[in-house]
Amino acid sequence: MQRPLVALKIVLVGNSAVGKSSLLLRFAEGTFAELPATVGVDFRVISLENVQGYRVKLTCWDTAGQEKFRTLTSSYYRGAHGVIMVYGIDDPESLKHLETAWLEEARRYVNNPNAVYMIVGNKSDLPTAVVPRADGRRLAERVGALFLETSAKSGSGVSECFVELVARILEAQPHVTGDGEQAGVQLEAGPYHETASCLC
Amino acid sequence: MTSGSNPAEAVESSVLADGTYDVVITGTGLTECILSGLLSKRGFKVLHIDRNPYYGGACASLDLQQMWKKFCLSGSIPEELGSAREYNIDLIPKFILATGKLVRILVYTGATRYLDFKLVDGSFVHTGDRPHRVPSTPMDALRSSLFSLLEKNRCRQFFGFVQSYDPEQVTQRGPDPRTMTMRALYDYFGLQETTRTLIGHAIALYTNDAYLEWPALPTIERIKVYAQSVARYGSSPYIYPMYGLGELPQAFARLSAVHGGVYMLRTDVETILTDTETGRVCGIRTPDGREARCRFVVGDPSYFPDLVHRVGRIIRCYCILRAAPAHIREASSCQVIVLHRAVAAERRNDIYVLVLNSAHRVAAPDRYIALVSTVMETADAEQEIEAGLAILGGEANILARFLTVDDVFEPIHDGRECGIFVSRSYDATTHFESTTEDVLDLYRRIVGEELMFDDKPV
Repeated sequence: MQRPLVALKIVLVGNSAVGKSSLLLRFAEGTFAELPATVGVDFRVISLENVQGYRVKLTCWDTAGQEKFRTLTSSYYRGAHGVIMVYGIDDPESLKHLETAWLEEARRYVNNPNAVYMIVGNKSDLPTAVVPRADGRRLAERVGALFLETSAKSGSGVSECFVELVARILEAQPHVTGDGEQAGVQLEAGPYHETASCLC
Repeated sequence: MTSGSNPAEAVESSVLADGTYDVVITGTGLTECILSGLLSKRGFKVLHIDRNPYYGGACASLDLQQMWKKFCLSGSIPEELGSAREYNIDLIPKFILATGKLVRILVYTGATRYLDFKLVDGSFVHTGDRPHRVPSTPMDALRSSLFSLLEKNRCRQFFGFVQSYDPEQVTQRGPDPRTMTMRALYDYFGLQETTRTLIGHAIALYTNDAYLEWPALPTIERIKVYAQSVARYGSSPYIYPMYGLGELPQAFARLSAVHGGVYMLRTDVETILTDTETGRVCGIRTPDGREARCRFVVGDPSYFPDLVHRVGRIIRCYCILRAAPAHIREASSCQVIVLHRAVAAERRNDIYVLVLNSAHRVAAPDRYIALVSTVMETADAEQEIEAGLAILGGEANILARFLTVDDVFEPIHDGRECGIFVSRSYDATTHFESTTEDVLDLYRRIVGEELMFDDKPV
């Protein structure tokens, strides 16, 4: 028998240049080989074959540059099951902003009380970390988020980050199974749905 | 990810964002956001700013806290209204025709992927006694209680003519809508005055009777769009986005950003910079002295008070209802057009009532919102919309209401000479066809050619 399918929405937030897109690229590239150069990444759909007995269709939304001046739209967050909040371990400001800006915005617009938050310290390949790992971990504990350090460059910690998040989401909200399609009207037939990866 | 300065650094610099763009767009209303998306998609470098901390400008959707603030209400929000956050009240009440031009743009651009739409349950017309379902096909005409027996047949013939009319394949027999006025076409079918009003106002969706003296063809096309929209999904010709119309500008803003458009909120314009030699626009300056250079500026009327003139006023009243209004209980969302004749003999414009509830995520559970609007004809706004409020189930059913009178502006020039393109205010119509036409017209003037849709049927 086939494993049940779960569709999940993940959003990435955090300051510019902390490596959100690279993180996503690294994770997606392990699954899909070729990715054309792009102006902006909209979202990527990644399939995980077995997480706790489920097949998972993960739609990961990137900020499309709208994080730069803090102009992400409320619909970006809406319906998210998981929020990945990224800082750079070379950039103390980016960790501070997770607490003072991004967490507040995400909590305001993610209309899902069971959403799982994860704080990710990226660029762990850098030889000298300016931000001690303990600082990131402490913030995660204080706000009830998961914590990991990753390197999008070397790949270290990247798939663990996504898989761990998905596992916790499945624990936190056992009723998410289904293909996630809305019951609303479909304005067009086919072309914009079920694309493996949307690169505009 | 684009690397760049964080907001704290940008404030100190005298350059706004990257400093040089093809277009600076001011205001994040729907018109501006669609244009931003279309222009970015075409390869223009776009900077899009808004003085407000939120998207949507004049056509944002507000929750109750924002409504309380906008209308300067003191005191706390009554508990019986439910959770304030669950409201999304459209400042410009409109629905979307399921086969109209906005849907074509949504599909063409792919902005649909950021939106979820649901059907609107019903479309009614109020002729004086109670709301009736709007008939739009020959079969509806026969069934409708709005017509006498003889009129049913005339009406059936009229709808039959409209359905089969194809301007590409005109036969010599029968009336020619390309040359005759709509009044003459009604005369040809011998339709009664009340039927004409119903067709012109509840189906062709004109706000008044000026169209009678215009060529009949555009009216025929409007009737066809309405009928096709009903046929597309069933009970009404309208669809509406979950969480309110404010989602529309946000979806197009996202589209623009994905194609490289840069967004800044809380950013106003103090000066439009012009090249002294050519007289054309060459940039903008913010109140804190930051500048961005550009070839064109596009914006809504509120940013260009000297470049617009007032063409009218619209009364809009936002109501929160305890329960569904009587007569339309079967529909959790609907439009009711109160015909001008049903209000007063001298009234020229209809009153529009849009009703929505939590099915579209715009109200707290069990509560309804009703958006009543009309073109202002006198000096007494309260009195003018009374007939619209009257169908909402009495004062006891109206838990809160907010009344506003908005000026309607049009640009004084087409912008081609100076490079400043100003959009029109949102009009009184209950759908987005005129807004979309303004977008396409602005696009034509800015780019110098028509927007070519993929013309696949939608």
